[in-house]
Parts: sequence; C-alpha cells; structure tokens
Amino acid sequence: MAQKKVDVLIIGSGHTGGMAAKILTEKGISCTMLDAGPMLNFEKYREMKPVHELPYRGFDAPGRLPHVFQASEFNANQWVDEKVVPYYHPPEQPYNWVRVRSVGGRSPFWARQSFRLSDYEFKCKDHDGFGENWPISLKDLAPYYSRVEKIFRVTGHSDGLPQYPDGDFIEDNSPWSGAMQRFVDAGKKLGVPVTKPRSSLGKDGLASSLNLLLPDAVATGKLTTIPNAIVRQITVDKNTGRADGVIFIDRHSHREMVLKARVVVLAAGALESTRLLLLSNICNSSGVLGRYLSDQIYGAGIICSVPEARDGKAPPHLMGGGALIPRFRNLDTKANGFIRGYAVNVSCSNGPFDARALPFYGKELEQKLQSYNGSGFSTNIMGEALGHYEDHVTLNKEVVDAWGIPTLNIHTNYTSNETNMAKDYVDTMAAMAEAAGFEILVKNYEFNPPGYSIHEQGTARMSDDPKKGVVTRWNQCHDIKNLFVVDASVFVSAGWQNPTITMCTLSMRASEYLAEEMRKGNV
Amino acid sequence: MGQQSAPQAQNPPPAANAADQGTMAVQPSAASSPRALSRVEQMARFRTPNIPLSQPDAVAMTETRYFTAVRYATLVHLCEIMMPASEDHPSAIKSGTPEFLDFYIGASPIEQQSMYNNGLDRLNSDCMKQFNVPFAKAETKQADAVIRPHLKGWMNDHPPREGHARFLNLVHHDIRTATINSPAWAIAAEASGDRTPGVGLYWNPIEPGIKTWVDHGIAQATPTTKHKHS
Repeated sequence: MAQKKVDVLIIGSGHTGGMAAKILTEKGISCTMLDAGPMLNFEKYREMKPVHELPYRGFDAPGRLPHVFQASEFNANQWVDEKVVPYYHPPEQPYNWVRVRSVGGRSPFWARQSFRLSDYEFKCKDHDGFGENWPISLKDLAPYYSRVEKIFRVTGHSDGLPQYPDGDFIEDNSPWSGAMQRFVDAGKKLGVPVTKPRSSLGKDGLASSLNLLLPDAVATGKLTTIPNAIVRQITVDKNTGRADGVIFIDRHSHREMVLKARVVVLAAGALESTRLLLLSNICNSSGVLGRYLSDQIYGAGIICSVPEARDGKAPPHLMGGGALIPRFRNLDTKANGFIRGYAVNVSCSNGPFDARALPFYGKELEQKLQSYNGSGFSTNIMGEALGHYEDHVTLNKEVVDAWGIPTLNIHTNYTSNETNMAKDYVDTMAAMAEAAGFEILVKNYEFNPPGYSIHEQGTARMSDDPKKGVVTRWNQCHDIKNLFVVDASVFVSAGWQNPTITMCTLSMRASEYLAEEMRKGNV
Repeated sequence: MGQQSAPQAQNPPPAANAADQGTMAVQPSAASSPRALSRVEQMARFRTPNIPLSQPDAVAMTETRYFTAVRYATLVHLCEIMMPASEDHPSAIKSGTPEFLDFYIGASPIEQQSMYNNGLDRLNSDCMKQFNVPFAKAETKQADAVIRPHLKGWMNDHPPREGHARFLNLVHHDIRTATINSPAWAIAAEASGDRTPGVGLYWNPIEPGIKTWVDHGIAQATPTTKHKHS
C-alpha cells in the first residue's frame, strides 16, 4: 500500500488519547491512533471463575508481578509483565510502575474517583513557595471540566469548599449512615470536612476511553485505530525541525513501519510518553524532560470496628456508605512538618471483617470474625507527594524491552514531607474515630512505594517559560510546535486528586486549541 | 461419494487431517476449493462439547519436595493450629494447604523462601528452648506461647516489619488464603448451602502469542551488504 501522510497521529488510546481522538475527529480532522497493545475482546478474554479453579488458589504465579500490588490471580493477565517491558530502580528507591498495554490503556481499570484540581494546586507555589505554579488556573479549565464531567457522568455532592471545587454533578443527596454521621460530627469538632465521594458513573459498567470517548470518534468516520503498534521513535524533519511522523514496531512480527504525520499527539501515559521523547532525543532544550516525577501516597490508614454493629446487632442504617475528606491542611493555617495536604477515602462496611486486622488464630479468630462481621470502618490516604528535580527518569540503553527498545531508569524518593503528612493523617483519623466511639484495631503509618497509586505525573511539565517546562499552557511542545503532549506527564504538581478528570480536561482543551491552530494554518 | 469434482477444482482434496489444515492456511488457493472451503466453514461452526471436568486435587495429592522434613512437619502443625476444621469447613490440612505451600514457596523468589525457612526454624527453636519439644509435637498451649506474642493486627500490604512477626502474620494469612480458596473448601461450602466462595472476574491471557517471541528471541531482518546502484 502506498504510504500516506496522516493529519493527526495520536500515540496512545487511553483516556487522554481517546479524548483527543473524540475532539479532533468531531472537528472534522482525520486522526490515526496507535496503541502498543491489542484490542480487548471482553467476551473472549474475561469470564467469571471461582478462585478454587485457578492454578495458584488466588495467589498468582510466584514472583510474576512483584511491583503490582494490585495484581491478583484474577487480573494478572491485564498488567504489563515487567520481564517484557523491564524498568530499573535503585534497590533503595523502590518504584511500582503499574502498566496496561491494550486499546483503551488503563481506562477500563481505573477506580473512577473524579475530582477537579483547585487553585491550591494550580497556584501551589504562591501558597508555600515550593516548586512552580501551573501556567493555568481553575478558571481556565472550569468550562472544560464541566463538559468532561457530563461525559463521564460524575456523581457527587456540591459542598462549596474552595479546595474541593464543585462541578457539574449528578447530585448525590443520599443521607449518611449512622456510623458515618458520627464520623462527620467528629470531624466538625476538629475542623475536618467529611463530604460525599465523587466518582464517574460512566455507562454500562465502564467509564473508559473505550465506551465514553472512542465510539464518538469512530462515529465521525475519521478515526483509524491501529493496535499492536509500538512506537520507538518520533521522527523529525531535519529541514523544518518539525515532527513528521513515527517509526513503530508491530508487536507480533517485530516488523518496523514508518508512518508520516502532519501533527503528533502524544498520549502514552506519563512515563511512556517521556520515554518516547527521550528515545527520540527531542523536546529537552529546557533540561527538565524526565524531571519532577510525582504522584500520591497511598496505603497508610486505620481499621476500626463500630461496636454497636457487632454480633449481628446493627440497627437499620447504622452501617454502610463511603466518604471523602478533601484536603484540609495548609489552607489558611500551616501544618507542622509538611506542606501541601492529603485527602482521605472513608469506608463503612457491612460485609465480612478483614481477618488481618484481628491478632488471633484458629477457633478464636473464627469467633471474632463472626462477632465483628458487618462492623468495619476504615480510612485510606491520598496525599500529595512532592516532585523534586531529583525525582527523575533516564534512558537505560543497556536493558532493552522485548522489541529491542531502551527502557527506563526511575529514580524517585519520598521524603520527610510525605512521612510527616502520613503521621498527621493517621493521628487525625484515629482521633476522629475515637470521638465517634469506634474501636481502633490497626493504625498503619507506613505507605506504599512511589508509583503504587498509578497516578504518575510530571516529567514533561507545562510552563510558559521554555526554560522551565517541556510544553506550553496548551500542551504544545516548546521545541516542536506540531507535537502535543496531552497526558499527565505535563502536570506541574500532583495535588491529592485522582488525576484522570484533569487529564481528560487538559486533553480536551489542548485538542480544541490544536484544531483551531490547524484551521488557522499555524500548525 | 460418486460426485465428480468440478472441472475447475484442481486443488488438493479437502483436508483430512490436522496437517492439511496448516497447508490450507499457508496456501490460500487450497481453501478456494469449494469442498475445502465448506469443510473449513463446517469446522468453524463447531461448538465446544460440554464435558464435565474435575480439578486434579479431586483425585491426587500435591507431591511435597521443597521444605526439609523438620520444616515441613513444623508447617503441617502450624496449619493445624492456625486453621483447624470448623463445623462446616475442612481444616487447612484437609484442604491440602501444607502441600500447596510447599509447592508455592518452593517456586517463589528467594526472599520469600528465606522468610519461610527462617520463620519455621525459629518456631521450632523457640519451642525447643521453652518446652524442649519440637514445634511439630507441641501441645496447644505450648504452640500458643510461641505464636501469640508475635501476632499483630495489620492492613493490606503492610504486615509487621520485624522478621519473625512478619513471618507469622504472613504465614497465617497464606494458610487462611490457601485453605479458603481450596477445592476442598469449595466442596464443603457448597454442601453446607453457602454460595460458591471467591467467584471473581478472571482475565484470560490477552493475545498470548507474544510470549513466543519473547521466549524465542526477536525476529530481525539483517541488512544486506550495500549494493552499488546505477
């Protein structure tokens, strides 16, 4: 077949690539989208199975996915195997890089918590002097947030808190359960707001690129989707200095293919996008490409029991439900030992109690489990981790992946800021739980390694200053005007929020800008 | 069947064995024979017959071969102590948990193996020191004295850090998981009228053909030497 030059080439088909495809094709622009993995066949690849029929009784094959704490024998096949695409971290700097390679990226598997960033995040440096402000504010993104929230069908309660901006929600006016109300009241006394969770309902059980974004692009007749295409380089025209396409490798046959494009949109996920820029040796005149990697701390928490719910005596409506505590530290006052803040997921369960929380065994444990059944109350942290210059990735040319492509070295470390934040969080939650009359069984100050949250951000951050950032406020590379990066690699700071809705919002905004620039003939 | 082949069908006769299926795959013209095509289409319509299957645990035992005899005896007794039979459910031993863990830990990374080996040795030596009996022969109270002080409440991904406490809390969790997820437990659960426990959404391998390439090396075209072009 004769090679043709495509209008816009999108690399990656997850939430941000999918959003770019939707917006651009709806503007009448032809797009070709590549994904490194296969198309998912939900009928063929998934089935309901009892755990006792699995070869490893639910444990999964020993040593198979050491960095994916989320893996179980049920879902092990959905994650990237690090023997196929390895990465390196120094032993003393663990990093859990949790990846998916299939059309739709990680979007079929996210937890769907849906938040706007506030100006406490966008203008973070103004508040505490650390890092850089984003070149944009909530006001710039608000109209796009609204549109994204409608696509994803975000449900939540409007609370009127500046650090927790309201959006276009399917309003959640459900009442608190009795135990949750006690926790809410305990929070009020300590100045800790306890609010309703916000999450994407999506449709048909998914809130993914596959069902919310790509079908709209397909409907325009202007989207060409190519699975199993592993891009190893973005090519640049030596005469113009502009990106002119990519070289990709067919995942199965390893055949190399050249694809020419007028514009390239990079949406491969924070670290994969940066890896590709490094492989292509482009977009690093600032020297910050690969720098300021950040995410959020997860894993610290408390586990409690609501005494009145034990022994099957829970009155109606005592148990059940969840809550979200938005950031409340370092807003108007200054916390001791850390900057920025954390949010908290709260869960009140009327299901089985986690045996790990009870230090008993044998028949005694069975009796306890029976007694504690339906009385569980737990919290989990989502804390902003700081992205330092030293938190960075580099290319590892010594170790290549299954397609011969150099891999990443990841160097990142949490600091006392995160440790102190986690301590404040556990102590505050414990104080609230105690005030609410709960029995505290576990206080865990330890958090998971960087990467665990699957919220990796930064390494190609945005800035108005080409010396400080890789892309502009419109996600356009400073060095190459027809190359856009639309995923979370452009984030300037992590915030405590799940980044997905902001990623989609930025991709929508950048894509509309790109379409307009193309119409004007500027790109 | 007495039918003459169509005059234009000069292709091989329809495939009669598996090897010929391959021939058709690599020689597309073969499948253009109407009879061959019809046979392929017929095969494509074939649906999997319903043949009830059993798991190997229903008829066989796992062969143990990793732990030393002393460590294995310690593990067996620990299984009995930590998860005895209840009214409705089998014990860890009846569920084949010691054998499963012997297999599983034997196949695990060395850090996991060391934790188990050291932990089982420590249990035994604690018991010898305090009661002068090996853990495998310890009475309930004796076993309790060397287990209970180390048990802590913990949450997902964060077992206690200290070596022996870490082992005891993790082995406890492993014994419970291997037992509750065992075929024997499922049979008992069904018999007692429980819903089948542990049903989840399982992802099959996605396009597993890639493993072939990873295991057998990369297909690479070697550039030929440069030709002189006119």
